[in-house]
Amino acid sequence: MKKVVFLFVFTLFLSGFLKSQTYSDFTLQDLEGNDVTLSKLLEKGPVLMSFWATWCSPCKEEMKKVNPIYEKYKDSGFTYLAINQDNQKSVSKVKSYIDAQSYKFPVVFDTDKRVFEAYSGKDEMPYALLIGKNKEILSVHTGFKTGDEVKIEEEVKAALGIK
Amino acid sequence: MKKLYILICLLLISSAVWAQKLDVKASLNNVFRYGNGKENNTISEYSKEYLENIGDARLKINDFVFGMRYEISDPIEYGNNFKGIRKRYLEYNNLNENINLRIGDFWDIVSRGLTMNVFEDRGLAYDTGIDGLRVAYKKTFGDKKPVKVKAQILGGDINYTDFLNLQRTETYKVRDGNFEITPLKNLMFGGNYVYAKGSVMGNDLKTITNITSELPEGYMSLNYKDINFFYSYAHKRVSTEANTLYPKSITAFGNGMYSSLSYSKSGLGVTLEYKNYRFDLVSPDQRDRTRPTKMMPFQNPPTGLKEHTSTLISRNPHVVDFNDEVGSQLDIVFAPSDKLTMNLNLGMASRHYEYLNTDTTGWQYKWERVNRYNNFLPSLRDQLSPFWEVYYEVEYYATDKLYGKVAFSKQSENIYNEENPLASEKIFNSTVPVELRYSLTKDYTLKLIFENQWTHNTSHSLTDDDVSQFIALSFSKSPDLTLTLNTEFSTDEDEPSGKKNWVSGDVSYKITPTNILSVSGGTEKGGLKCTNGICRYVYPFNGFRLSLSSKF
Repeated sequence: MKKVVFLFVFTLFLSGFLKSQTYSDFTLQDLEGNDVTLSKLLEKGPVLMSFWATWCSPCKEEMKKVNPIYEKYKDSGFTYLAINQDNQKSVSKVKSYIDAQSYKFPVVFDTDKRVFEAYSGKDEMPYALLIGKNKEILSVHTGFKTGDEVKIEEEVKAALGIK
Repeated sequence: MKKLYILICLLLISSAVWAQKLDVKASLNNVFRYGNGKENNTISEYSKEYLENIGDARLKINDFVFGMRYEISDPIEYGNNFKGIRKRYLEYNNLNENINLRIGDFWDIVSRGLTMNVFEDRGLAYDTGIDGLRVAYKKTFGDKKPVKVKAQILGGDINYTDFLNLQRTETYKVRDGNFEITPLKNLMFGGNYVYAKGSVMGNDLKTITNITSELPEGYMSLNYKDINFFYSYAHKRVSTEANTLYPKSITAFGNGMYSSLSYSKSGLGVTLEYKNYRFDLVSPDQRDRTRPTKMMPFQNPPTGLKEHTSTLISRNPHVVDFNDEVGSQLDIVFAPSDKLTMNLNLGMASRHYEYLNTDTTGWQYKWERVNRYNNFLPSLRDQLSPFWEVYYEVEYYATDKLYGKVAFSKQSENIYNEENPLASEKIFNSTVPVELRYSLTKDYTLKLIFENQWTHNTSHSLTDDDVSQFIALSFSKSPDLTLTLNTEFSTDEDEPSGKKNWVSGDVSYKITPTNILSVSGGTEKGGLKCTNGICRYVYPFNGFRLSLSSKF
């Protein structure tokens, strides 16, 4: 087994391609059953994709604070994509929560957490990644504190090329 | 197996060398955890130290991903010590062909998990992950009125260690086939079939019972305008081979049903959930968690109850018995404005039947089930161990700087003892959690959480009601620093540590957005910790903890 470890670590570090996070395209279903593909959203502009769950209070705060940013810049091509991580316990409440809050940004289900894993998600939520139009990961946010929305807006503006 | 993985790696590298257009990316997710202090169980206080480092690495070459987890847990916080490669997998994911293939370790959930839901929770030392093969395929036929189909097969081994008794193990060879069709945009039908052969260790940690289980499941969802409906039914058949523990082979049948109905529109969301789990209806003397005909560890349906974020409410959760429980939950979210949100949650659950001891000799128990015609509904009869809760919450963004949340929770839990009804326990909890948050500037925020809980426990009848208070004061600087001081007070005389007060502090600092250092110290109160209805008691801890979470 040591050989496997050696081989993998050797491949990992000598590949010379080490990056902090890796872009990976996906198609997930939204609350209405429509397919949402990340690469198609990126054709319009940058995407802030955030992994969240209904039982996560900071995730709800992030949505509340990022929603105005989405409303402000959506016509410039920006998308806020909320990727739901609720498990079988609470997934039934997702649509009613989003509709009750009158949020209009796309919300998709990743119940089996395959996309979360592909983006190196662990236990922390919210976990947000801002992806540029050229599919480059521009920034990563783990957790949410009051005031983080200011930095997020600055990053979105920079991604859109707005000064 | 080792050779196979080496071969796969070499093939990957070879393809990387020869391919014309390569997209090679790598990432590493590492968590380092250390803790040192004292822990209390009901008998004594003892030293507790853990040192864990868990590194999850991924190497992506075009459509291939090779991943592995290298772990050093010596000593581990919960579970058995481990050093080496814990998980490894090779995944092929072709988005154009909609094919996903994975060899190695994986977790999965089918539908709502009535027949297949394997997951890991390190905090509980719980892991039902599968080591095997999974192939998934999906395709959409037609453009104007598309019909979507999704199919998946998986097979592999589960080596499950009982998280409440680490010497006890259960092993399964599992095969699963799943098919879903969406003939109309708003209508989906699905079916799942699980076949497993298992070896279940008994309580004596010696006797192994070999079992065969079959679990077919059918489910459907319908979305029409503002209404969403989901229904799932699963059947379970388990047959055991005779051994010294069970001299006669047993064939047991069970089933489970889960349904949800929700209505939502702008400003209002209503969800009604119903569960009826009868995976192993047995008399009180047979309710043993090591019984081979119980719900399989690779099953994990919805609990059908609210998942609380309050520290005090979540400390005494209802432990769902998936083998014998019927219940319902109503959840209403009302947001009349973007500043105000209200949430009302009503939940109820109980066993299906009452059991009477009909023995007249006084030497033994002879249980007779008392049938009731409305056993598809939960009951408040003490003999059915009822649980109910009412939760109401209001949150309000008063200004850009001030946020407040107030809630009220009332819970009633009855743990009925059929053998000695006088030893039954009734617990009533009333809790008021309050959260206030005030932004001093655009970067600095103060947060206060104050929770008060009143508990009446009939088994503590000689004492007054217990009162518990939890206060947490946090100061945070966006985006990198949080300082928190937690204090807790309780009058509970049955607390294992014998303490009445707990004080702890923690600091969390983001070295970079993906590298977070957390340090905490002080005394922590114990309590039940649950994930997906799986619960274990976490003992009180007095000491110091350090963690560093990094993503590279």
